[in-house]
Amino acid sequence: MDRLPTGHDVELAALAAAGDRRAYGELVRRHGSAIRGLLRRMGADSAAADDIAQDAFLAGFEQVADYRGEGAFGGWIKRIAARLYLRKVKRDTRVIFTDEAQDGDDPSALNESRTGARIDLDEALKALSKGERLCVSLCYGGDWSHAEVAEALAIPIGTVKSHVKRGLDKLRAKLAPQTEGARREAHG
Amino acid sequence: MAEPDFEAQLTRLYNEAPSFPDAELFAAQVGASLDRGWAMRRVLIGGAGVAAGLIAAFQLVTTRFSAELQTLSHNGTRDLSADVDKAMTKFSQITATPASVEALWLAAGLALLALGFAVTRMMEDF
Repeated sequence: MDRLPTGHDVELAALAAAGDRRAYGELVRRHGSAIRGLLRRMGADSAAADDIAQDAFLAGFEQVADYRGEGAFGGWIKRIAARLYLRKVKRDTRVIFTDEAQDGDDPSALNESRTGARIDLDEALKALSKGERLCVSLCYGGDWSHAEVAEALAIPIGTVKSHVKRGLDKLRAKLAPQTEGARREAHG
Repeated sequence: MAEPDFEAQLTRLYNEAPSFPDAELFAAQVGASLDRGWAMRRVLIGGAGVAAGLIAAFQLVTTRFSAELQTLSHNGTRDLSADVDKAMTKFSQITATPASVEALWLAAGLALLALGFAVTRMMEDF
């Protein structure tokens, strides 16, 4: 039986660029959950998140020759997924940037093997409006700059900054006890 | 808590990927989609190769008939069946000459090669 491909993400991506689908499958195994999780945290429901994550990996395979290993593969594929999600969100612009009450997500998909930290982040994100959630998740989960978010959403950078600030304030209120605890543990 | 501290903690929380019970299933679904797309591409490429081979063969044959076809078109429908018979006779004459037979065999061989290539690739995929 053939062994599953192993190695660094950059090596696997190079193999995938040469047409090795098994190498790319290993990359999907490694990064699939991160992408699905990020999309949920950005505000996608479970089914949409999985569909977009799948589309992102398929698009990633088409473009994998463009990945030169300058950054982490996870970050590269996150960008593709985030862009696909933004495209979907932009089709329904009323969803974004209104401070309406947050719709309930479906947290059941994350229930089975959560750690305490994850419960807190996913729960805390529910307190954010959709616009805040999207901006905060892009900046801290997708590693986008405010300018990049503003450009992608075609909104002023000031709007992005205020959404991020309001989102951070809400998250801080929800997460502060936990992050303080983690900090105290880290410092002994 | 200082803002940079909190932001670092938040980034760390985001970087902790949740663990999904169906992670393997998701990876398998992506793999299956990739395989389907790849197989479809192979079929299309193989089909295009076969079609190109057949077109090449057709071209080889029809260039031999160009003069006869012109005559046929001039004559129009006056005596179509007689003309078709004449063309078929010409075709038989042409295929009877050694050079033309070689060309036909070559074209047929190329078409078969393309078909064989397509089938082999499809078998690799499934």
